[in-house]
Amino acid sequence: MGELEGKKHVQYIVSVEKKKDSFEALVIEHLRLNGAYWGLTTLDLLNEIEAVKPDEIVQWIMQCQDIGSGGFGGNVGHDPHLLYTLSAVQVLALLNRLDVLDIDKVSDYVAGLQNEDGSFSGDMWGEVDTRFSYIAICCLSLLGQLSKINVESAVNYIVSCKNLDGGFGSIPGGESHAGQIFCCVGTLAITGSLHHVDRDLLGWWLCERQCKDGGLNGRPEKLADVCYSWWVLSSLVMIDRVHWIDKEKLTRFILNCQDKENGGISDRPDNAVDVYHTYFGVAGLSLLEYPGIKPIDPAYALPVDVVNRIFFSK
Amino acid sequence: MEKDSSFSRGSEMSLLEQFEGILEGDKLIDEIGFLGPSQFASLDQDLSGSSLDQCTPIQLADVSLETNIAELNTVQYDKNFFWNRNNKLAISTDVLSHLYIAARHAYIASAQANFDHLLEDEILKHTKALLILSCNFSSAWNDRKLVLSRKHEMALFLEELRFSSLILSGAPKVESAWSQRRWVIKIVGDYLQDSPGIIREESDLVEKIAEKSKMNYRAWGHRCWLISCMNNDQVFHELAKSKKWTELHVADNCCFHYRRELMLNLLKEYHEASTGCNFDVCLLFKEELKWTELLIGRYIGREALWIHRRFLTQCWIKHFTTNQGAAAVTESEDLISSTTQTFIAKELKFARSFLNITDGFYDAHDQAQYAASYILWTLKFALSQESMREEILSELRDLKPLLLKTCAVNSLGWETML
Repeated sequence: MGELEGKKHVQYIVSVEKKKDSFEALVIEHLRLNGAYWGLTTLDLLNEIEAVKPDEIVQWIMQCQDIGSGGFGGNVGHDPHLLYTLSAVQVLALLNRLDVLDIDKVSDYVAGLQNEDGSFSGDMWGEVDTRFSYIAICCLSLLGQLSKINVESAVNYIVSCKNLDGGFGSIPGGESHAGQIFCCVGTLAITGSLHHVDRDLLGWWLCERQCKDGGLNGRPEKLADVCYSWWVLSSLVMIDRVHWIDKEKLTRFILNCQDKENGGISDRPDNAVDVYHTYFGVAGLSLLEYPGIKPIDPAYALPVDVVNRIFFSK
Repeated sequence: MEKDSSFSRGSEMSLLEQFEGILEGDKLIDEIGFLGPSQFASLDQDLSGSSLDQCTPIQLADVSLETNIAELNTVQYDKNFFWNRNNKLAISTDVLSHLYIAARHAYIASAQANFDHLLEDEILKHTKALLILSCNFSSAWNDRKLVLSRKHEMALFLEELRFSSLILSGAPKVESAWSQRRWVIKIVGDYLQDSPGIIREESDLVEKIAEKSKMNYRAWGHRCWLISCMNNDQVFHELAKSKKWTELHVADNCCFHYRRELMLNLLKEYHEASTGCNFDVCLLFKEELKWTELLIGRYIGREALWIHRRFLTQCWIKHFTTNQGAAAVTESEDLISSTTQTFIAKELKFARSFLNITDGFYDAHDQAQYAASYILWTLKFALSQESMREEILSELRDLKPLLLKTCAVNSLGWETML
């Protein structure tokens, strides 16, 4: 079995940060804050967060905040959205700089996006998705502000998105999808509502994601993709069914997705690497307790010591 | 590719003007592609022999930066970087970075200077260019929504749907393009009162896109979203209409999920409307079961088909079978409903027929695996009575080693079940 090329991945992440002028980099500049979360969390999981300068990052993150609403955009000058607001809070948590935030302002932005039926819109334009429920609850929980929303109706909305196969979709009746399942199970976990999940039924759906090559897919009939090592695995951990998959085969699959020369991890073996898949590969390996990687919290998607620091040192 | 420093701000603007000029001149563009230099060079060669009247007349305009477009002429553009014919547009990858930077700059400038809403047309023009280059630039989509909400013109809303289709033709998974459609439809739907027409068009669009973009979650999610706007007749119609397409795409789990949602919608409607089983819905499920059986026999080892059957079995047992031995009989004395035992026995017989792998092909192994997991899943999750499950499981004890061997990949979970 191959090894994890930790140093190479660190080098890769640091190098990506510098390449901002290529067309490929330009067309993702609107989600740079997400990229910061993926890159920095990976560095921390590999015990290499010292590779970056926190002050510069914090300064840039705060520039991404929309003064009017309190929400964060994906980059400086971009419209605020829940997607980037969570990444901002997560990165600040990682760097232990949550003190720079006006907690009320950010939480009011997030809480203000809850709808009558308990669902959450991503931004002022109203699109609803269970991802946004997870983001809102994860964010508010990290900030200690869950009381600002109606938790019961939020949970009820998630339950209304449960399908007959035990999985969850993006809206009621949406096809079960591992990513959406992670969001729904994560929401239920954080709010102490996992009793709504049929663990055997969902566990079965999740363990059927494992393909012959050992990797995990996100839905039936799809190819394995490294990012599902996170979405599926963390869901299984949260419902205590992770022993239903073949962990060794999955580990081997993830390791095979590395670019051992230049660093980085791709969606499947021999494809081009990117920061997104590098993060999910390392996070997946963390859940599989691969040596040399810090443990990660399956619900908050942050290193366990970061989460402990937030919740146990108040 | 790296930004070429030999491009000055002036020439970047000229590039943008050319690009926007082409978009303005050819309103019917339905396909846009980014091509590398060698592919790009070969484009003109392809058309050298074709007749000119197939080409869209192109409008020329004054190329200098100071003048504005005063009269309708033809646009000059640098043929090294742009190619526009037959409502298709190709852009050379050599200029993408410069174009993007120019479009972004122009967009931000017009958005910031939009006092008294005088620059709304500029915003629409620049965001259009920007989104073609970077379709996920959500702020640009948002500014378009701002302009459209303020102007509130039907023509602009319909044009927005067309623009979204253009983006989706090249990038069918773009979330923002799909949500832009829903935003427009929610507004326009109230005005037009032509929701059947809109539903049909959106449904057709999804089917067209799904043809090229398999198992596209956002596309099918959009189609499922439409279900809430349909009445029962429309739901039945969609089920009938999409059957043929589904038969040609048996590996696409999304189209089966769509059918499941349509059927669930009907179950819910009839359940709320009357008591007990409705004949039409019952017949629908029965036909769907028969149809799936055919497909499973025809397309060996297709997971989506077995997943679909799990759903059908689950619903049939829950809504259309009885446990007391009495069965529902129709006017024509045709038993379309039965006892749970009879139904389960039939299903087990059907699934067991696939467990004997006689040839060495992977498909047959997959088929056996799916059949085995279908049996286990149905017994564990679709049967609510413990007693019945225990009874059948004891009958299946001889099958247990075969079942577990067949499903080697996922056996860890099943072992705890059995």
